[in-house]
Amino acid sequence: MAADSIQGKPPLTGYRVLDLCDERGLLCGQMMADLGADVVVVEPPGGSPVRRLAPFYDNRPDPNASLYWWAYNRNKRGVTLDLGAAEGRAILFQLLTSADFLVESAPAGLMESLGLGYAEAARRNPALIYVSITPFGQSGPKANWASSDLVAMAAGGPLALTGDDDRPPLRVSVPQAYLHAAADGAFGAMIALFDRVRTGHGQQVDVSAQESVTIATQAGALAAHFNATAFRRHRGGLRLGILENQIIWPAKDGHVTMAVAFGANAGPFMVSLQKFLHRQSQLPEASPELKALEPMLGQPEWPQQERERIIAAIRSFTANRTKAELMELGMRNGVLIGSLETLSDVAASPQLKERGYWRSLEHPELGRAVSYPGPFAAFSSTPIVYRRRPPLIGEHNREIYLDELGLSATRMRELQDLGII
Amino acid sequence: MKPLSGVRICDFAWAMAAPAATRYLADFGAHVVRIEPHNRYDAARTQPPFLNDRPGPENSAMWSNCDAGKYSIVLDLARPAARTIALDLVRWAGVVVESFSPGTMRKWELDYESLRPMVPGLIMLGSSLMGQNGPMADYAGWGYMGAAMAGFHQVTGWPDRDPSGPFHSYTDYVVPRMTATALLAAIDYRRRTGEGQYIDFSQVEAAIHFLAPAYLDLNVNGHAMPAMGNRDLNFAPHGVYRCRGEDRWIAIVCENDNQWKALCQTMERAAQDDPRFDSPANRLAHAEELDCIVNAWTCTMEPHRAEALLQSAGVPASVVQTSSDLSRDPQLAHRRHFVALEHPLHGTIFAESSSIRLSRARGSVQRAAPTLGGDAQYILSGILGYSEERIAELAADGALG
Repeated sequence: MAADSIQGKPPLTGYRVLDLCDERGLLCGQMMADLGADVVVVEPPGGSPVRRLAPFYDNRPDPNASLYWWAYNRNKRGVTLDLGAAEGRAILFQLLTSADFLVESAPAGLMESLGLGYAEAARRNPALIYVSITPFGQSGPKANWASSDLVAMAAGGPLALTGDDDRPPLRVSVPQAYLHAAADGAFGAMIALFDRVRTGHGQQVDVSAQESVTIATQAGALAAHFNATAFRRHRGGLRLGILENQIIWPAKDGHVTMAVAFGANAGPFMVSLQKFLHRQSQLPEASPELKALEPMLGQPEWPQQERERIIAAIRSFTANRTKAELMELGMRNGVLIGSLETLSDVAASPQLKERGYWRSLEHPELGRAVSYPGPFAAFSSTPIVYRRRPPLIGEHNREIYLDELGLSATRMRELQDLGII
Repeated sequence: MKPLSGVRICDFAWAMAAPAATRYLADFGAHVVRIEPHNRYDAARTQPPFLNDRPGPENSAMWSNCDAGKYSIVLDLARPAARTIALDLVRWAGVVVESFSPGTMRKWELDYESLRPMVPGLIMLGSSLMGQNGPMADYAGWGYMGAAMAGFHQVTGWPDRDPSGPFHSYTDYVVPRMTATALLAAIDYRRRTGEGQYIDFSQVEAAIHFLAPAYLDLNVNGHAMPAMGNRDLNFAPHGVYRCRGEDRWIAIVCENDNQWKALCQTMERAAQDDPRFDSPANRLAHAEELDCIVNAWTCTMEPHRAEALLQSAGVPASVVQTSSDLSRDPQLAHRRHFVALEHPLHGTIFAESSSIRLSRARGSVQRAAPTLGGDAQYILSGILGYSEERIAELAADGALG
């Protein structure tokens, strides 16, 4: 595309992406669509299985009302196509010739068995960048394992570190593993694009969700290789080998987060907090527990054996104040205190409001607008634009098959009759 | 040649969220110079795990992961001579990444508005917890505060308890690839148009995308999703179950009837004929009973044995892997996830690979994270072409910390 035709438009304007993903990869295409690429999501006739995932708009299990689908298909166009049929594959090959990227999240080996694997795609478009997002990668002893969000989080390490130590390891209730993998897919697609600029060749980008989520151990995955004490999950806090933190504290109206460290190496992190608590303990309204702690607050390191007493004293301090009061106190005293915001707090956040974060998209078929999470990055010259609400099933079949691919109306009707489109 | 050969980054970033992004870029060939402050260690240098449990700025696995492949110089940016070096590095790179509290770069006149007239086509990314403007812009902090401010705690916990929250600094783990993608998109845009720009990257705003279905549920239905333990909105059984051994667990999920039948056969339970469990909807309605049935079986089993039986029957299952399990995982070994790197002090040090494998191009971590200021000579002489006399003057001046 000529430089002046993309000037000021989102940075990936002019690239085309075919998105064949299920829930394991849809965020990848959406990031690229937000960045301006023309992303066409290809669903089987009748709609993607993702459209059956809860939650639903108005709680009605309508395939056009899955909020999971909405969450990760904004700014894309949508077509239906049966890739199990030879005619369907022929159309995909036609679409491929004008695409820069293809993103898929089929189990390893499935695309090859359909004749749609990377080698076949590259034969038809050698410059194509083909992103494959799978639980464990394209090859290896676990490549064909059955998986899910929970399984990937278990296999990659973060699950073992999350939750209370007297309960089973715990996941985030909104599935996370494939979002990590899909976001890596977008990054991998960009790397391959840079390689294509240099060499003219496309290639396959192979993403493993298991590997993607290892990042969420903050290098805890490396403990064995470092001959270091392993991280463990801990109620209300963190047990990072030799360093322990209590990080969740009650407030009058919810909870706050503030790191109180114990054990070796804790000292340097605690200087400002200790000074702060020392001042608080001298105030007339200080709780008896906090006052009793006063002599200890001047020490450089807190003795491990006083842990329970220290925790109780700090709880007595936080539990009598609101989240806002504690954050305000923290900001004024150079102590890091964060509010554990509820989803409703976040939705009403003055910070996000002032930055114009939430973006509204019209859903004409519902006669209303819907507020979506806003741009994942704010570009000064080429801002992300929310151009389209997520597509209805087959919404752009005519536009893409007739107007852009040049199928005849007769041919399109035939394909519809055959159930290909 | 690697895919990003020719990409250069002047990296003022700190801790994990932004440094992990530039680390990935270094894997794939970007030349990244890391400017470290003279008066405090990068947070990643101060965090466990430490080699042999010995704290120290060159011993951290987090530093090893977040900064492998980069080159380090220490600068006291309050000194004009150091600022001149920084400016030369910015001109050399044309791409700047920083993650100080908003306003800090301005103090040193290294903010975008100051640099832009001097560096045509400059791309600069500022990564912060809440973004560069707004009433909470000054609210600096760690990723655990980012996780709290993005709402992750409400959806991570047990219904009968205080929130657990995701592990530690969760937004730091979510955003690096988004940061890297945004940066590469801007660099490609500059290639096509000649124009640079500023990217205001809010870690909280980016991370909210990982909770998008819950926020849509709130925005359109007024329903605030609660924490559900390990239960799922769509599938049951869906849980983490106790196995034999000290704190050993297995994750098991059935997403369809076939997987459920296979689980029953593996457990040698006739539960698949039980009408309470004969459809996905019925299984969801009886998730509690299902958890009891599955747990009764797993707690008699050694975790890897249960995992092998379930996977051979096609049931999604994995041992909840610890660091020690990961170090022996055959799949991670197959993908060469743990990479041994030469290290000037330790002989060998390990870092983890990214999750991306390319079929054609090279791209993997090849250089250990730098020692503090360990590349000053290379950067000043090899990159910037300073003379030995000038380097000696800078050192005498204190610019190099």
